[in-house]
Amino acid sequence: MSPLAIIFLIIGIPALIGLAYIFVRGSAGLRRYILTRIGLLIPMVFILASLVFFVMRVLPGDPVRSSLGPKGSAETVARMREQLGLDDPLIVQYGNFLVDIVTLDFGNSLTGGRRPIVDEMSERFPATLELVIPAAAFALAIGIIGGTLAAARRKRPLDYALRLYSVAIYSIPVFWLGLMGQLVFGVRLGWTPIAGRIDPVIGTTLERTTNILWLDAIISGNWPALWSSLSHLVLPVVTLGLILSGVFLRLTRVNVIETLQMDYIGAARARGIRERIVIGGHALKNAIIPVITLLGLQVAILLAGAVLTETVFSWPGMGQYLVQRISSRDYTAVQSVITMFAMLVALISLAVDIIYSLVDPRVRY
Amino acid sequence: MKRWISVVAVLVLVLAACTGGTTEDTTATTAGDTTVPETTEGDTTSTTAAETPDTTGAPAGEADGTIIIGTTDTIASLDPADAYAIHDWELLKNINEGLLRWTPGELELTTGLATDMPEVSEDGLVYTLTMREGVQFSDGTELTAEVYAEQLNRLLTIGPDCPNGVANALATPFLESVEAVDSSTIQFTLSRPVAYFPQLLATAAYLPAHPDTFPAEECVTFPEAPVHGTGPWYITEYTQGEQTVLEPNPNYNGELTPQVDRIIIRYLSDPQTMALAVQNGDIDIAWRILGPELVGELEGAEGLSVGAIDGGSIRYLILNYAIEPMDDINVRKAVAAAIDRDEIVDVVYGGQVEPLYSMVPPGFIGETQAFDDMYQSPDLDAARAFLAESGYDENNPVELELWYPPEHYGASTADWMQLIEQQLEATGVIDVTLQPQEWSTYVTALTGGEAYAGGVLGWFFDFPDSSNYLEPFVFNGGLGTMVTSPEGEPINDQAAQLVDLLNEASVELDEDARAGLYEEIQELYADLVVTLPILFEVEHVVPRDGVSGSDQFASPETLNIGPNLEFYYSVLSEN
Repeated sequence: MSPLAIIFLIIGIPALIGLAYIFVRGSAGLRRYILTRIGLLIPMVFILASLVFFVMRVLPGDPVRSSLGPKGSAETVARMREQLGLDDPLIVQYGNFLVDIVTLDFGNSLTGGRRPIVDEMSERFPATLELVIPAAAFALAIGIIGGTLAAARRKRPLDYALRLYSVAIYSIPVFWLGLMGQLVFGVRLGWTPIAGRIDPVIGTTLERTTNILWLDAIISGNWPALWSSLSHLVLPVVTLGLILSGVFLRLTRVNVIETLQMDYIGAARARGIRERIVIGGHALKNAIIPVITLLGLQVAILLAGAVLTETVFSWPGMGQYLVQRISSRDYTAVQSVITMFAMLVALISLAVDIIYSLVDPRVRY
Repeated sequence: MKRWISVVAVLVLVLAACTGGTTEDTTATTAGDTTVPETTEGDTTSTTAAETPDTTGAPAGEADGTIIIGTTDTIASLDPADAYAIHDWELLKNINEGLLRWTPGELELTTGLATDMPEVSEDGLVYTLTMREGVQFSDGTELTAEVYAEQLNRLLTIGPDCPNGVANALATPFLESVEAVDSSTIQFTLSRPVAYFPQLLATAAYLPAHPDTFPAEECVTFPEAPVHGTGPWYITEYTQGEQTVLEPNPNYNGELTPQVDRIIIRYLSDPQTMALAVQNGDIDIAWRILGPELVGELEGAEGLSVGAIDGGSIRYLILNYAIEPMDDINVRKAVAAAIDRDEIVDVVYGGQVEPLYSMVPPGFIGETQAFDDMYQSPDLDAARAFLAESGYDENNPVELELWYPPEHYGASTADWMQLIEQQLEATGVIDVTLQPQEWSTYVTALTGGEAYAGGVLGWFFDFPDSSNYLEPFVFNGGLGTMVTSPEGEPINDQAAQLVDLLNEASVELDEDARAGLYEEIQELYADLVVTLPILFEVEHVVPRDGVSGSDQFASPETLNIGPNLEFYYSVLSEN
């Protein structure tokens, strides 16, 4: 079974169970809402995939010539285009494409050796998950802690410093931050590896099941591989997480400040509840809901890959893959990847909305 | 909150306990060991999970005889009938040995699997070679002449239909048949004499492929690991975008015996990252492709040495005869006269590359400085004089669009194109508009011959022969020069003469006569300004101290990588 399938099972089965539970126990309005959103998913994916299909073919450039470079003769180019069906009428190509979507047949890439796209995504997508999830969690932690502190110390030096940090960190190019991290922590101090997912030598001892290396290391009991994969995660996760943290910090701060002005907060203070509990136990719970929404959407977008971070750290994820495939006009790879991500983003967005309604009883569909 | 702190603390303790202490060394297979390491067929990962190497604080690979080579190249194909990229050929030539190969560090052909150089019939149409005895693939499969011939025929039969579809061009135009005369003798029959056929035999297209992995009727660009060959190494595992692991072939009986237990090729996305990785010790060698600014940075770094290789890769302007104003020979000559290559080399590259005055780089048969002899550029007066012949002056300048891909050949391309713009405009009679264009769009338009009057291309030879630097830009559209039509029709008498000379040189078996022909060809080429050579790139290899090449071969300071950029991992050792 491919790593991609394993990952989708690991995530999908609990998600399906959760969805079934919510469906059964939830309100009629929520059930209608879920069904409507799932129903809308189909035309949404269809429209997006068709748009990508036509845009890719309108773009100048050719996958065959892009792959061969200047060395392929005109006859070779013509022969390969015929082999790949690129000379078929557009309507025929579109028809084949629709059939492939319905049957979830991603096919083979047009460039890069014509490998099955599922194989390529099985290598890349787990790497992206491995980077994006902890980076988002790190960003969330920094954002919530920083935003709460800033709100609690509003208009004091700490507040100003954190607000300045949130703007500055968001302005810094991620590749610059990554390079500085590599230079300082990797080269000068020697604390962290420079790039890659795991030490090359240790990597040869790791049996890959999900292709999420730290998870595979735990599964196989390979503790040096676990340590190596985690240590390779530090710099890229911190880099990407710091860049994202600015947005979470500001949003948390604004929401906590707003919540602290509510009547029930005043009532809690009047009852003598300590300020730490008022903020952490009462205000933050309500203020954090929009932050969770943002987190879900941010993760969904990042699953398409954090290209610059992946490039700086030679992290073989979906971002680099998609950029390379767009550059080489690999129609099938781009279509397949974007279609898959459209479905993922839609499902994650639905999950966020469901969680939102569960967390906040005032939300009704 | 307290609950979460407790959970985190427990996790930290558990992790610390689990990762404490050193770990055991791997038992990698060494040359001479007749037991092939146990890896599952089709499994791209090693299954030796029980024993792990000690990497605590040691430089990359030191503990167990592993050398890690970093590169920004990627694998495009591992099928000899299909592979065409430099890195693919590098891997294939390390896991396979062909009948002939290059001596490490120099442009000298030597025998590989063959016992002697080929026996050539008088008419130059039949090449016969005898294989040495006892050649086996790394899994013990015997390589006989029959197997070899069958595998080579894949190039003729399925080669054209393989994904890259270009490797077969090294055979199909002239190779009629490959046959096994007996179990150790192979015979190649050509449809016409080919002066550089021995060089072709040293290319990856003529390597033996394992018959089980690479069937006769199918291209297999990414075979499942392990990938066996007849060379000093074999691939035990590989993961696209991450690494390729090679270990010594236990059945290898040739001269290039491995000196270390394992080679790992680490794929990195970015040259800057690669430069940092070699400084940090994450990799032992940085190899392809380091830009001039990074080379300068690494030259001052402690613990590293930088080897410079005059490596056969050139950059040139491609000028389209079919599009104004490049259909005017005077405009072409004016551009040739105005270019200042030394300024480009100094200003953009800090002297890290060489100016190029002929499409044939130094060291190749018959090479000359044809463009320098003819134009002695920069000569702005001569440029203005050429343009005046066609009625151009300050009031009626030539409008010239020059296109280039800003990302494909590195960031410095934009810099030297801007310098060329200034140099041409310094004549006062040329107005240049630079047009950057993304590679995929650019190469399609450029090689189609319909869109750009002038552009930039790079070239690296398929085989190290002068013909490979000249013929592609003349025959059948000339990759966009249009000095002949796509059907091969020359645009004028001079072009027809050029075509005839190239055809004559390709079948001339006498070296001296060939050299004379190529000298004449280059002069005519410069007179027509078919393309405009600009610079000759210097490749760099950066090993960490403690990693070295072999004193048995030339250029140990560049790890025995010669002008053909052939990197034989067997020369590598650790001090």
